[in-house]
Order: sequence, then C-alpha cells, then structure tokens
Amino acid sequence: MRAPHELPDLAPAIRISGLVKDYGRVRAVAGIDLEVRRGEVFGFLGPNGAGKTTTIRCLLDLLRPTAGRIEILGLDPRRNGPALRARLAYAPGELRLPERGTVGQLVASLGRVRGGLDVRRRDELAERLDLDLGRRMRDLSSGNRRKVALLLAFVTGAELLVLDEPTTGLDPLMQHAFLGLVREARERGTTIFLSSHVLSEVQRAADRVAVLRAGKIVAVGAVDELQGRARQRVEVWFTGDLPAAELAGVPDLTAQIADGRRFTAVLSGPIQPLLEVLGRHPVQSLVIEEPDLEETFLELYAGTP
Amino acid sequence: MTAMRRRFELVVVPFRASWRAGVGWSILFFVTVAGTVAFWPAFEGSTGIMDAIDQLPPGLLEAFGMEDFASPAGYLKGGLYDVVIPLMLAIAGVMLASSATAAEEDSGRLELWLAQPVGRVAVFGGRILAVLGWLAVMALVILVSQLASDAAFGLEIADARIVATVTLCTLLGALYAGLGIAVAGFLGRPGPVLAIGLGLALVGYLVAALFPLSDVLDAWAWLSPWDWALGSDPLFKPTEAARYVALAALTAALLLVGIVAFARRDVRSA
Repeated sequence: MRAPHELPDLAPAIRISGLVKDYGRVRAVAGIDLEVRRGEVFGFLGPNGAGKTTTIRCLLDLLRPTAGRIEILGLDPRRNGPALRARLAYAPGELRLPERGTVGQLVASLGRVRGGLDVRRRDELAERLDLDLGRRMRDLSSGNRRKVALLLAFVTGAELLVLDEPTTGLDPLMQHAFLGLVREARERGTTIFLSSHVLSEVQRAADRVAVLRAGKIVAVGAVDELQGRARQRVEVWFTGDLPAAELAGVPDLTAQIADGRRFTAVLSGPIQPLLEVLGRHPVQSLVIEEPDLEETFLELYAGTP
Repeated sequence: MTAMRRRFELVVVPFRASWRAGVGWSILFFVTVAGTVAFWPAFEGSTGIMDAIDQLPPGLLEAFGMEDFASPAGYLKGGLYDVVIPLMLAIAGVMLASSATAAEEDSGRLELWLAQPVGRVAVFGGRILAVLGWLAVMALVILVSQLASDAAFGLEIADARIVATVTLCTLLGALYAGLGIAVAGFLGRPGPVLAIGLGLALVGYLVAALFPLSDVLDAWAWLSPWDWALGSDPLFKPTEAARYVALAALTAALLLVGIVAFARRDVRSA
C-alpha cells in the first residue's frame, strides 16, 4: 500500500475543473473541465483569443483563476508552485528574452535556477534545432526565439511539457524537427500539453485534442474520433447514367450535385451505404478526400456538430 | 546548496541586467562629488562669491541648504547633500526599481523566470536585492569619492559626518526605491512606478525645504522622509539613531507591501 504522500503520483497529468478566468468584465475562460492523462500528447486547439494562453498561464500560476480548480501531477499550482514547476517545463507562445547576453548564457543561467543542466542534451538540441548558442539574444529573429523556447523546454527532461503555439514562426524543416522531439519525449513517457491554432500540427502530434471556443471546450476526443466526425468530400464519375434516386437515399450524404455523369457530395457518416450503391453501378472514377480536421473544426465553430 | 545557488542567480541576473544604469549612475556620482569639491579651494578664497551669497534672501538660502556656505560642512550641504545627492539617489532608486520589476513584467520578460521552480517571492525578492545592491555600490562610490576629494582639495570635515550623511542619503534613496517596488508590486507597469516614485520624491523634498519657511507649516516638515534623513544636519552634528531606524523601517514596510502584492496578483503578459 502506498503512503498518502505518494498518492499524487497516481493523479492525471492535468486535471482542470470548472476553470473560470475573468479580466475585469471580460470572461476569457468560461468554465473548462479537462483531464490530460499521463504520457499522452494532448492538443489544445482553438483560434487566437479562445482562451488557450489564459488557461496555460493559470496552469503555471502566472494567473489566478476566478473560479475552479487546477491540479497538475496531483499538485495545486498555487500552493506547490516551485515543486510543481520543477517537474514541468513551459515554452510560452511569445518568448521575451533578456536584451543582453547570448543564448548560451541564458540557458546556463536558467539551468542554475532549475538546479542543473544536461550539457550534452543542450548541445544535441541546439544542433537539431539549428540554433547557435553563441548568438546574442537581441539579434534573434522570431523563429530563432521560438527555437530557444523549445530548447529551454526540452532540455529540462521534465515530466510535463506545456507548449504554447510551439511551431509558430518555424520553417517546415524545423516543424519536422519539433515533431521528432515530441515523438521522442512521448516515448520516454513525457506528457505534452500542446496548444495550437494550427490544425495540421495537432493532427500530426497529438493523441487527443480539446477544441476551445470563446473560453469553453466544445469538443474533446481522440484525434481519430474527431476525424470520424469529419466531413469527406466525395466525387464520382459514372460510366453510364447517374443513379440519382439511389444516391439521394444514402444517409448522411448531403450537398449532392448531379452534373451529367459527374456526382459530388459531402459525406458525414459511415461510408458503407455509399459504397453499396456505387457497387451496383459502373463507376469510372471515385475520389474521397482525406477527412480534414480543419473542416470538422470549422463545423464545430459554425455550431453544427 | 542548490536552493542558495538558485536564489543567488535570481539576484545576479537582474543585477547584471542593470549594469549599464548602475555604472552610469556611479560615474555621475563621482563626477558630481569630485567636481563640486574641486571648487572648494577657489570658493574658500573668494570673498566676492561669499558676499554675493550673503545678498540672497534668508529663506532661499535655507531652502537650498546654503545658510552656512562658508564652512566645509555648509559648502557640502549646499552644494551636494541638501538636494543634489539625495535627489539623484532617489531618482536612481526609483528608476532601478522600475526597470528591475515593473518594466521587466510589462515587457513579458519576467515570465521566463516565474515559470521556473522558484517562488514569486524569490524572483521579486531577488530583484529587490539587486536594486539595493546597486544603491549600496553608489553609496560606496559617493563615500570614496567624497573622502578622496576632501583629502585632495583640502576640505576638512570629519569622516564620521561624511559616512553618516551618505548613509542617510542612501537610506532616503532606498526608501523611494521601496516606494517604486511597492507600486510595481500592485501594478506591474513602469509608468505609474516612475510617476508615483519620482513625484513623491519631489513632493518630499518640497515639504522638507519649504515647510520650515512658514510658521504654520514648519511643525509639519517631519511628514517628509527628507526631513527624517537630513533634518538634523548630519554634516554638522551626530544624527539620532531613530532617523536611521525610521527610514529603514518604512523602506522595509514598502518592500514587504510590494512583495505581498506581487505574490497575490496576476502576472501581466506582454
């Protein structure tokens, strides 16, 4: 049997219940309930202004919630801030760096504040991110500042990484490098909380995703599930006559347009009934687009689940 | 050991970040002190200047601490320690306090340190120590400049009077730095820190300088910390310990208010 003080280790990586954050009269976060499991990559998806950064800043205890409760790794960020932040690392959306000194000096200084720095890991990350540690911080581009933020997060070896818009400003090559780092961290058992408004990024990196709109979570689920709710565009060219009546009877097949032998529609349900109809008629070509998370996302925003 | 090293780093980082301002102020203090004392030999031998000063209204002489300008202590009081040095220390204190706390928070740079495994009090406290550290450096520069200049230009005054005066002026500067820290603790914006800190430093000077000129207001001059620091003429005679204690206690209270306020509120984002 475990001693009571060990129990927090059994807790989820992040547990948020009823989180509300007001800025004066503006409600930035309007009651969020969320649970992030240990070892998963969790995407926190939403457009700018949806409340992602506000939520993250509450997790870090930079903001104090108006209402609600937050537990990270079983600990209360308000009461156990330093102990908790020793086990997590944060890459802010817009890293503001000191004006003087080099990147290497900053990394060393933060290493001292954190109580240690893995120099080999630092050098490996700098190489993978193509970041010159000797560069002066005031000369860095936004892309390079982003690399610094990622290096500072990944060099810690923390149990939980909180990454706010981590790939903004990175070129495709570096985005690829970032996904590699996420994959490796996940394999080591690190939990990653990843906020983004870039859908493809979440689609590629995350196991589960929560979609945030106007301070509220409108959908939570596995990325696969979200894709299952996605609409797929269908385009069929028939060799002979188009079986319009039969196609009209296919469930969840909307926006049907028959144009000679060409038929287009949007499928938002199972594909089997459509395939059965098509199997009865000679088909010249069939195109079914990959389910697009973005379309699903926009649908959620349009209020049509 | 690790905890000590962390705390030390949280002081070193803001101290180093204020390097240019700290060195700049230190040079300015040296030039001001040495430059003023360098004129003493010429001033001492010139009856013309003394006569001209004697023609000024007594109230004006008193307001600028020039009532005993012919003595070494009076010369230093009027030329440096009644207005110039304490005002410079107050300005330096408020500006350093603002740049180490509110300006860093306002620009979003403080967040980098607050996201580390250290408490808010440690981060904010480290910045306070950095500001006090620079004020101590400036005090040392003033003291050494004064003692060396006195010896070089033949201005005879007891070292103890100089040490006491510089200490009191520095405590006054620390008090206004503490005021800046207190405002930063609540607001985290450099504008209000500078406006309130510098504004009240000026008001404090005016109260201490002008109230004694009025029979009605004279009894209220003690309201100003300037009066606490310099009201007993520390260049002329020993100062009561209560004056040091009052300045230090109010400074400590202001710093505490700033720390508590900062620990309880939201941190501003850039």
